[in-house]
Amino acid sequence: MRLSTRKVLDRSFSGLGIFSIILLGLSLVVLLYPIIERGLGAFIFRGTVEFRKMMVEKFEHGDREAVQAEVAEALAARQPVFDMIKKFETVELKKMGFLERRKYKDPLEELKENLRTLLGPLPGENRPVLPRDQYGQTRWDRAQVKLRYVLEIERYDYSDPTKMGTKYFVSRAEDFKGTSLEKLFPYVKEHFEEMLRPRLTFYWQFLTDQSKDAHIFGGIWAEVLGTLYLTLGAMVFAVPMGVIAAIYLVEYAGDTWYVNILRTCVSTLAGVPSIVFGLFGLAFFINSVGVSESKSVLAGSLTLALLVLPIIIRASEEAIRAVPRTYKEAALSLGAGKWRTIVTVILPAALPGVLTGIVISMGRAAGETAPIIFTATVSVGRALKPMETLTQPTLALPWNIYNLCTEHEAVDEIRHVQYGMVLVLVALVLLLNAAALILRARISKKLRG
Amino acid sequence: MAADQNKQRRGGLVLSERVTRLRRIGAFFGHGTLLLITSSSALAVLFIFYYIARDAIPFFWAEGFGLSDFWRRLGEFFGSTHWYPSNPKPEFGAASIFIGSLMVTLGAVVVAVPLGVAAAICLSDVLPFAVRQYVKPVIEVLAAIPSVAFGFFALVVFAPQLQENGGHLLAIVGWVVGVPIGFLAVLVLSDLLSEPASDRIRPVVRGVLFLALAAGAGYALWEMSVSLNAVKIDSGTNALNVSIILGIMALPTVVSVSEDALQAAGRELREGSYALGATRAETMLKVVVPAAASGICAAVVLGVMRAIGETMVVWMASGNAVQEPKNWFNYLKPVRTLTATIAGDMGEADQMTGSDRFHVLFAMALCLLVISFVCNMISEWAVRRTRRKMGAV
Repeated sequence: MRLSTRKVLDRSFSGLGIFSIILLGLSLVVLLYPIIERGLGAFIFRGTVEFRKMMVEKFEHGDREAVQAEVAEALAARQPVFDMIKKFETVELKKMGFLERRKYKDPLEELKENLRTLLGPLPGENRPVLPRDQYGQTRWDRAQVKLRYVLEIERYDYSDPTKMGTKYFVSRAEDFKGTSLEKLFPYVKEHFEEMLRPRLTFYWQFLTDQSKDAHIFGGIWAEVLGTLYLTLGAMVFAVPMGVIAAIYLVEYAGDTWYVNILRTCVSTLAGVPSIVFGLFGLAFFINSVGVSESKSVLAGSLTLALLVLPIIIRASEEAIRAVPRTYKEAALSLGAGKWRTIVTVILPAALPGVLTGIVISMGRAAGETAPIIFTATVSVGRALKPMETLTQPTLALPWNIYNLCTEHEAVDEIRHVQYGMVLVLVALVLLLNAAALILRARISKKLRG
Repeated sequence: MAADQNKQRRGGLVLSERVTRLRRIGAFFGHGTLLLITSSSALAVLFIFYYIARDAIPFFWAEGFGLSDFWRRLGEFFGSTHWYPSNPKPEFGAASIFIGSLMVTLGAVVVAVPLGVAAAICLSDVLPFAVRQYVKPVIEVLAAIPSVAFGFFALVVFAPQLQENGGHLLAIVGWVVGVPIGFLAVLVLSDLLSEPASDRIRPVVRGVLFLALAAGAGYALWEMSVSLNAVKIDSGTNALNVSIILGIMALPTVVSVSEDALQAAGRELREGSYALGATRAETMLKVVVPAAASGICAAVVLGVMRAIGETMVVWMASGNAVQEPKNWFNYLKPVRTLTATIAGDMGEADQMTGSDRFHVLFAMALCLLVISFVCNMISEWAVRRTRRKMGAV
């Protein structure tokens, strides 16, 4: 081969490496960008008057009188719509013949249904039972989607039998051609903003409110709290065991066959798939030991503790090993016993490293889903009190993200909640990792200086 | 002062016989307690094996089973593709589920290993130290993101894109991968093939060969991109989607473990190679990578473990359809994996604790456990081998 060819190959080899690193960074950006952008949409969005009404009535957030005044103003803007429908129903329909009346019956019902979705129950109707039917669209972005369904009708074109049906829209006004209702559509389109009065809203209570009506309204406090319980519970069990095991493995254990087996066991434990931990938690903690009747935060915490144990052991081992020998020798020469040396000299010196491991394993425990599916989580519930964690299952961010985006009845209506949950979970985990990074930077500075 | 002296005495400066004995007993029990705690946390893995196996065995060997029943069950589980657990006469053929796991793992390896090893080489030998400081946190962040977030991304963002613009995306990937590889192959081939020609006409021969080969390669690429562009993907939740996402999830593991292995190969090896006139690419590919081969092997195995044990991404984004045999290894079709089956079917099997449907899931978990155990042994062995080899150099 010529030298120049070899050089080209060399360059492209480096290029491949740089390309893959760029790809790595790019995939991080591509992953995080939609999560952050649309996740923030759960906190900051254009809320309508329906949102403020719902907040006052269901969550007691906001100024009741101001909201009532605003509702009255919005109602004034909506009144012509209601009047038009009423006039059509009570006057015009009465005049028509039987056949003609039948022709308008279904389209009118459909129109009213769509208006209900958009603006909430029409005046004079009974208050619906489900909170989701008591209010119109609370978010301006969803309201615009629903507005389209008021103005137009969704149809599918099946003319080409080889393909799936293609969606197209026709104007709803066609249905009411020649009647007084025809004027309703341009009116709604023109006065849409006045009917819903969108305003930029910062809904920080998304974090601290409990959800209402299967996450259609409200926030994610129950999930956040459940995740915190599970994570802290896992730490309560895993940290003492992990740190003690690390102390033993570094300071006491010799190079015997038994210790080698223990080390192999720890590394095998680290490789066990997370779903297997879940099955084990079910078979051992719930079915055999019976720490609780059925799923509970306690059982989930124990399972998660096993999962993070190897991480804590390894990190603590490394940290303890990194303590300079001279520290230990100095302590021993001053007459301290072995145990005292460990507790008063080695552990404090290794503490930042141990903490780094703990913080990283907290992030792992918070984000893990598979182990808690069978041991700790339910899809619907409320925030638990601390004592209830011993016996009750909980909601948790990772599980409810799965649940909301695959099993919820109205997946598209609550996209913002799903994104918001993912954002909160990712932010939680990344904050923990950032804390670990800062800790580690401190250690390396200390060791250098 | 007095208190200080007391403390010193208890601390052991003054050794009376009684104190020594007490301390010896204390040390013995202390040591025992430590050993007990350490053992219990380490032996948890044996517990896991035992409890998973205890609920898995009744699937193969229930009461009243003869040896022939055992073989029938074993054959059905591993050999049949009929997975109808909820039929009145249930069938538990998990072969297609095993194939599904194999497919997504293979796909993840194809994505993660070349990119991961290339990135590791770049990190350890190409990039300056200052840049490396910025890349490391990116890798750590990628490793820290919870799997459910990846799954959510795969299901909500990536799958619709794949379904709508699948062909175009594939064509773009084809171009990005194909153009550099094609160019390099043409360059090297024209170089090698023109070698026998005499010195005077060699540049001409090389130029002509290069043009001819480049035209051929260009045509092949064009054909490929046209046919890829025409690909229609029926469902965005398929094996391809999951493979790509799992590959990205496995990348951090592969990068960091193989980077460690490359670093461990040492300066002397590289310097020796450079002194003989090798370029960086030749040094890396012919000297350093072979020396670090067992460490890189460990990295690959760990990546495989990450992919095969992952639950949420495959459960959410793989489509969860049990494959028909004729669709094997079609990555554009939905697949179902072991982990997703366990996660998805447990809810239905839970109420009937003790039924076959419950035990078959534990049988799958046992298979996963055995696979991960074997993988772990391989990677341990590989790491130990690297260490020994590097120690000898």
